[in-house]
Amino acid sequence: MIQPQTHLNVADNSGARELMCIRIIGASNRQYAHIGDVIVAVIKEAIPNMPLERSEVIRAVIVCTRKVLKRDNGMIIRYDDHAVVIIDQEGNTKGTCIFDAIARELRQKFSKIVSLVPEVL
Amino acid sequence: MRIETCWFCSSKIYPGHGIQFVRNDAKIFRFCRSKCHKNFKMKRNPRKDSTFEFERKRNRPERYDRSLAENTLKAIKTIDKVRAIRSESHIKNRMKGNKRREQARARKEVEQGIHLVKAPTAQTEDPSFTLPKIKIKTSQPQEENHAMEE
Repeated sequence: MIQPQTHLNVADNSGARELMCIRIIGASNRQYAHIGDVIVAVIKEAIPNMPLERSEVIRAVIVCTRKVLKRDNGMIIRYDDHAVVIIDQEGNTKGTCIFDAIARELRQKFSKIVSLVPEVL
Repeated sequence: MRIETCWFCSSKIYPGHGIQFVRNDAKIFRFCRSKCHKNFKMKRNPRKDSTFEFERKRNRPERYDRSLAENTLKAIKTIDKVRAIRSESHIKNRMKGNKRREQARARKEVEQGIHLVKAPTAQTEDPSFTLPKIKIKTSQPQEENHAMEE
């Protein structure tokens, strides 16, 4: 349940460390974002000397939330923190590797992310 | 579907039950029910905490019982004997019929491979190349036996 002003960790090596959510892409007055939703975020903290800098506005996909992800077969997954993977307008990742076990729900829209992931739940 | 085991209580987790928790180092903890999940969140250790049954009996040492030790020692001796007997009879059974089989094989080999020893036409040309036939008289011993039986 990510909403504007939520701080999120970055799960890839694109250069950003922490983002703050500004807007949820989808519907005009969408309240919350869950795993698999795209958000617009601003970079609050970044690693120096990388292509991405602080206070840059970018798009990201949510990959981990503390709010549970429920599946049709009854499986429930909960992560330990909120994390995103930074993408561009088409859906390609900015970073080259991803540091988390990611849910299968992302496979349909973001197959590139799933191909970089060490483990798919 | 895969039946997992609960991280906390080691019971089976059937599909549709329980929660999976993914830690930041990508380690996955599966829980069978909210009891296990809540205790995990409280950072309880199922092994140390005596409110849980699991693995509590694992490290209890056995008290020394003299009669038990005696019986065990006796049993060891008889078990060794029984094992020796069984292995002998097993080997015997496996080796049964070996001699018969070997002789049959040898006979066949001689039949098929006689050309390696002698030329095929040599036997028909010169009869002296065959093994000499020895005749033995067997009539006398039979008469003797009849006499013995009476």
